[in-house]
Amino acid sequence: MSTTPTVMNQSKRSPQSPVQAESTVTLDPPLMDAQTAIAIDSFNAYYGDFQALHDLHLDIPEQQVTAFIGPSGCGKSTLLKWCNRMNDIVPIAYATGTLKVGETNVLERGTDVVDLRRKVGMVFQKANPFPKSIFDNVAYGARLHYKISRPELFDLVELSLKKAALWDEVKDRLKQSALGLSGGQQQRLCIARAIATGPKILLMDEPCSALDPASTSRIEDLIFELRRQFTIVIVTHNMQQAARCSDRTAFFYEGKIIEEGATEDVFTRPKQRQTEDYVTGKFG
Amino acid sequence: MTDPLNQQLEHRSDGQRKMFSSSFSVICLLVSSLAIVVLATLLFSIFVTGGTWLNLEFLTASHRENNPEESGIGQAIVGSLVICSICGLVALPIGVGTAIFLEEFQPRRRILRMFHGLIQLNINNLAGVPSIVYGILGLTAFVYMFGAFHSIRINGQPDYEIGATYSYQVKTLGGQYVKFPARAKLQPTIEIQDSRTVTDSSGKRFKLNVFSPIDEESTLAKTRSKSVIRGTQAQLINREGADLYEAATIDGRSFTFPAKPTYSQFAKILEPITVTGPDGKSFELNVLSKSEAIPTDELVKARSVFADSPDPNKRSSASIFRENSFFHMHLPFSKSVLSAGLTLALVILPIVIIASQEAIRGVPQTLREAAFGMGATRWQVVRGAVLPSATPGIMTGAILAMSRAIGEAAPLLAVMGGVLGTTNHLSSLMDRTPVLPVTIFKWAGDENQGFEHLAAAAIIVLLAFLLMMNSVAILIRHRYEKKLA
Ligand SMILES: Nc1ncnc2c1ncn2[C@@H]1O[C@H](COP(=O)(O)OP(=O)(O)OP(=O)(O)O)[C@@H](O)[C@H]1O
Ligand SMILES: [Mg+2]
Repeated sequence: MSTTPTVMNQSKRSPQSPVQAESTVTLDPPLMDAQTAIAIDSFNAYYGDFQALHDLHLDIPEQQVTAFIGPSGCGKSTLLKWCNRMNDIVPIAYATGTLKVGETNVLERGTDVVDLRRKVGMVFQKANPFPKSIFDNVAYGARLHYKISRPELFDLVELSLKKAALWDEVKDRLKQSALGLSGGQQQRLCIARAIATGPKILLMDEPCSALDPASTSRIEDLIFELRRQFTIVIVTHNMQQAARCSDRTAFFYEGKIIEEGATEDVFTRPKQRQTEDYVTGKFG
Repeated sequence: MTDPLNQQLEHRSDGQRKMFSSSFSVICLLVSSLAIVVLATLLFSIFVTGGTWLNLEFLTASHRENNPEESGIGQAIVGSLVICSICGLVALPIGVGTAIFLEEFQPRRRILRMFHGLIQLNINNLAGVPSIVYGILGLTAFVYMFGAFHSIRINGQPDYEIGATYSYQVKTLGGQYVKFPARAKLQPTIEIQDSRTVTDSSGKRFKLNVFSPIDEESTLAKTRSKSVIRGTQAQLINREGADLYEAATIDGRSFTFPAKPTYSQFAKILEPITVTGPDGKSFELNVLSKSEAIPTDELVKARSVFADSPDPNKRSSASIFRENSFFHMHLPFSKSVLSAGLTLALVILPIVIIASQEAIRGVPQTLREAAFGMGATRWQVVRGAVLPSATPGIMTGAILAMSRAIGEAAPLLAVMGGVLGTTNHLSSLMDRTPVLPVTIFKWAGDENQGFEHLAAAAIIVLLAFLLMMNSVAILIRHRYEKKLA
């Protein structure tokens, strides 16, 4: 097994501008004028000798919510993590093909991952606030990337917390430890923290799987509110959630995208047997 | 094959199993209480043997040969603390740095990963190496530096050295030591041929008189006029109605001093007396024995040396004299505090690395992901997310490692020898010093029975240090656990 790290074969795609509306892959886009935020082409991902994703083609449109669904282990998180190169932490992980965020192929060796992650924020399955104050948690990213004055920082923190619908609950305890928040609050704090660096894209990996129904619905509302400001990609095992809050859905199975399209179509008029079985819960 | 879950299996006797279980716990209890009893006995006997010897004097005095009553561990405590500080200052940054490198900077290339694994394997193995082996390693690596440099010359200057000032020192005819700065290439001794500027013991600078060997010892008229030879006879005279004694000084000037009624006709002058000179001024008379040479002026003698002399005792050759500043260092490090500290650092380095790795591994991966996901660089992740959470664990590990270092005797015996006491106090990194464990070792084996008590007392002090460090470690862990919760 060769250990070619993140080798890139330049895409066979014509030097097509990502600004151009995408109409080849998606047969029935809900918003015809949507531009492509993430363009995935001939994408393969490996963990050592194991190939986790096989020859993916997918375009994720801007300012919409795209849901990844599929059974456990089918590679949803793997694709999500490659979108902001979080797989760099895993020494044995590498990928081939193209994965363009805006104009740049992020799989390229020279990619500035720091800048990429500023533009492509991530929210994880388990809320992972730093053991610091609520304020410092939200300010963390801004402090990493920007020279920012104290009052500006306060404004930014307030704005981010308001966007994440958490401000009213924590405005009197900003100095307290973030670990004292409830699970749902912590997850919204993580969303606020991701928003605070000013990303264009938000990746969410099962953000509600550890939460109770009440917190889940708050986060879903939040996703609904945020979807015209950010491009959101959400991984979920909850079919209702995917149906409720996403514009487009991609169904993964054993490392391949079986079906991709407008959420309504995928759920009500699936073209593939596997998709139908999965969304109707007949999977087995 | 039959399904073992659905099979009717014969039950084992319940009573027998319970018997076994309970007798096993009794055995465990016995064994562990035996260990505690042994420890308690040990502590008790140590306190009985050494407890009464423990006092302030013992804690501050230094070792006296054959004199347990006045011996103490002052130098040993200072030595142990200094060596442990050096050890900590060296081992902590390197150890924590290595742990961070191994845990947080795992390479992607296969060859580098193998190199990484090799380092890890080595560290794990090194943790089990007996400390005396490190002692021998320290001896070759630090004390002799693989013989790569000239060994330290007695009285001479090592090849690579900082922090030392050299001067020549010479004894004057008056018995005073004077010195003058050494320049250029140093020789162990030089012949003084011409006059030069020197400094005396009080720090005053002056020009040194240099006589040729054929010169007579200098005499000064002023001194001679105020001296008599011991046994000089003074004669009683009567001048203007008063009884006086009169005698002559060496250079022939006469003087008088009052005679008391009890004085006999003749008096031998055996002690210095106050006399009056021909000019009427009174002064203290120098009295020399007959066998002594003609008196010379002390001021002159103190400032004079012979250029050369057939008499070797009077030959004025200056020997080299070194003054060390606290940062005095040379290559190789030779048997010194620095070698000892570095060797101990080697001993505890694997422990520090492994403890720090554990602490770093204990930091939840989600924290790293959070920081990376926000666009933190590797270093920002380490600095901002990993280290703050790992610090209590690292500190505890470090303190426990230091408490191992403070109790090590074997490697120190190898790199410093069994020093019990030094005449000079520890003033530079190149000095040698006694330390607690070595002192205990030497005292316990001393022929003089009294030192056994001292060894016990020193053990109590060492145990107190260990206890202190361990409690600090526990305190830190406790404190941070609360803070993070
Ligand atoms: N760090 C890793 N090292 C090796 N293999 C991995 C690693 N992470 C994931 N995999 C493998 O890659 C495949 C895809 O994993 P991934 O986490 O992307 O699945 P997923 O679709 O997110 O599953 P789930 O819904 O359970 O989260 C799985 O077979 C998994 O075993
Ligand atoms: Mg997953």
